[in-house]
Amino acid sequence: MKFFTPFRKKSPWVLHYNAGSCNGCDIEILASLAPKYDLERFGVINTGNPKQSDIFLVTGPVTYRSRERLVELYSQIPEPKVVVAVGSCTATGGVFRGMYNVEDGIDRYIPVDVYVPGCAASPQLIIDALVKGLEVLEAKSKEIEKPFKLFGAIETIHNKLSRLNMATKVEPHAKD
Amino acid sequence: MIWVWIALAPILGGLVYGGERVLRARMQRRQGPPILQPFYDMFKLLDKRTLIVHAPHALLAVAHFFVLWFSVAAIFLGWNLLYIIFLHLFAQLLLILAGYSVRSVYSHIGSNRELLMVVAYEPILILVAVGLYLVSGSFEVSQILKSGGYLTQLPLLFAALLMIVPIKVKKSPFDVGEAHQEIVGGVEIEYSGVFYEFLYMSRFLEYIFIYSFIYLFGGESHWLGALLVAGVFLLVNLVDNATARVRPAQMVKIIYTVAMALAVFNLAGVLL
Ligand code: SF4
Repeated sequence: MKFFTPFRKKSPWVLHYNAGSCNGCDIEILASLAPKYDLERFGVINTGNPKQSDIFLVTGPVTYRSRERLVELYSQIPEPKVVVAVGSCTATGGVFRGMYNVEDGIDRYIPVDVYVPGCAASPQLIIDALVKGLEVLEAKSKEIEKPFKLFGAIETIHNKLSRLNMATKVEPHAKD
Repeated sequence: MIWVWIALAPILGGLVYGGERVLRARMQRRQGPPILQPFYDMFKLLDKRTLIVHAPHALLAVAHFFVLWFSVAAIFLGWNLLYIIFLHLFAQLLLILAGYSVRSVYSHIGSNRELLMVVAYEPILILVAVGLYLVSGSFEVSQILKSGGYLTQLPLLFAALLMIVPIKVKKSPFDVGEAHQEIVGGVEIEYSGVFYEFLYMSRFLEYIFIYSFIYLFGGESHWLGALLVAGVFLLVNLVDNATARVRPAQMVKIIYTVAMALAVFNLAGVLL
């Protein structure tokens, strides 16, 4: 409903996922939630639950082990949602680029709205990125957004959309 | 007039919750969210897509909210205290059922813990009702509010009630039911959008519910009641900021040994 749309940017709830990062950016995210930078003044809650989140904060290049979970979590966030890629390695692969066990950046798997540079990204930048993400969030429609890879299907069962098979598993012996 | 208050109860609770978030932030030397934050959250939740696991699961949350609202209304209307406590228990059981009705393991853990919490605080609530009955001679809230002197005759019982307030409003050290990210909200985990909103609002009602028990100890003096509520509110938040979470079994043990002993001791003193 139009009336409620302005409130999206007043209460962004955050889901933080570590897709194989070195933990540097995770610590910066925690720092920006902690008293000094105090992200909660924007109404941010670190929910840890995809079904109640609006903003998906991802750190790390996607390792082969984490990609299924990344897409699974992404599929479970109800729209409207925004993805913020925190750190250089999340955007391009960074120091991990070209390694045998990582994908170079999460935008091979899911659409990203805001990229945060820096290795590690500073808390100020993360706050800026979240505020930027809020603008994107407000402009979004409630269309279902799909991941680029590992996307299964959105089925209609009894006139209801089912997301049960939206995220699929990696083929056991696929060469990618 | 009283009906207006009943209708406004969730909003009142929301203000308390918002104020509490600001207070906690100030205690940690943060700025904290705006005081109307809970309402922003509620409006935002209305604007999200809703994922439903199955219909009864979603409806149980709605039922939980309305039964809880009914029990708060019963307090405002001055009904029987035992009746109010059991209505509240019924609301809690609906939530526990909802937790068990989905396949998520975290939801089951949440339900288990919710049950343990009920087991821990329910006897104390009933003992509080009995204590108030012994002093005032009636279980009716309206009668209880007509006499006074509870604090002088039931100080230990009040201390026992103080100990279960953190369980009800889910604060440390007894916040095992939701436990932040440890069990991802427990029973709340599978809810989203509009249906999560009902759970979110029932949290506001829990505040009203448990703090009205504190208020009852003020008796006929409204000032004393309000003062008690404000003091307990501050104390609970202070303790929340200063303590770590205990394990569920420890929680039950602490409540059953310390709080129960205090309550029984006090009641025995009044009876003899
Ligand atoms: S960007 Fe750098 S600091 Fe951040 S997670 Fe990647 S490697 Fe670590």
